Amino acid sequence: MIDVGRICLKTAGREAGRYCVVINKIDENFVMVTGPKSATNVKRRRCNILHLEPLEERIKIKADASDSEVIKEYEKSGIFSRFNIEKPSPEKIKAIQEMKAIKEKEKKERPPEKPKIKPKKKEKSTEKKKGDKKEGSEKEKKGLLKGKIKFKPGVKKIAEKKKPAKTKKVKKSKK
Amino acid sequence: MPRPALRTGFLRRIRKKLPGGASIVYYFKKKPKAAVCARCKKPLHGVSGISSSRKKKSAKSKRKPQRPYGGNLCSKCARVVIKEKKLKRVRK
Repeated sequence: MIDVGRICLKTAGREAGRYCVVINKIDENFVMVTGPKSATNVKRRRCNILHLEPLEERIKIKADASDSEVIKEYEKSGIFSRFNIEKPSPEKIKAIQEMKAIKEKEKKERPPEKPKIKPKKKEKSTEKKKGDKKEGSEKEKKGLLKGKIKFKPGVKKIAEKKKPAKTKKVKKSKK
Repeated sequence: MPRPALRTGFLRRIRKKLPGGASIVYYFKKKPKAAVCARCKKPLHGVSGISSSRKKKSAKSKRKPQRPYGGNLCSKCARVVIKEKKLKRVRK
């Protein structure tokens, strides 16, 4: 029942009660859909089949058709008058395209900000580790000093071997 | 007489008798009832049970779901109602 070019009613989510067209099939369960946004205010998006109510009407479009092609087909098949949808004016389409361009620009600007924050955290963590090493080395010295006692140093060494990262770095610092 | 701050209809009262025989009044702030679907009478998800003055301060998306009939019908009932209303017009 749900195939490319089928007109549907959205029944779930914030776009519930609005009409849309199926553009492409993704899975058994999911489908690509548009209003288009300029006409019925449904965004071009993935949609679950359970959230759609298929109707009798169908239009002839290719898979992954653009929004302008869909609007042309609406005019030919007289769907604007059938569902009481207003024809989108060219000004409205322009405004939506401009908004899209602005949002894409913002998305491009966002990702370089994230790596700036991450290395700072790493530096902090490394500084803390350095502090730990110093403490660890001091403890080792104490352990060596106490090495004359039979059992205590052996127990400490085993405990240190369980944390290999710390012990290796300590050796480097000694050299 | 209670002090003037407690003499309002905004507070909930409970009267209790103490073991000595004296009676006491406890005051509580009233809480709104949990929101319920208008069709199936089940409790609604995503509707905050805060008083109206606090609701205004919270974000719009936290007050109620953003779909049509959000905060009045549950999602299952909203689907049925939308289908009924929209398809009647189309399938005449």
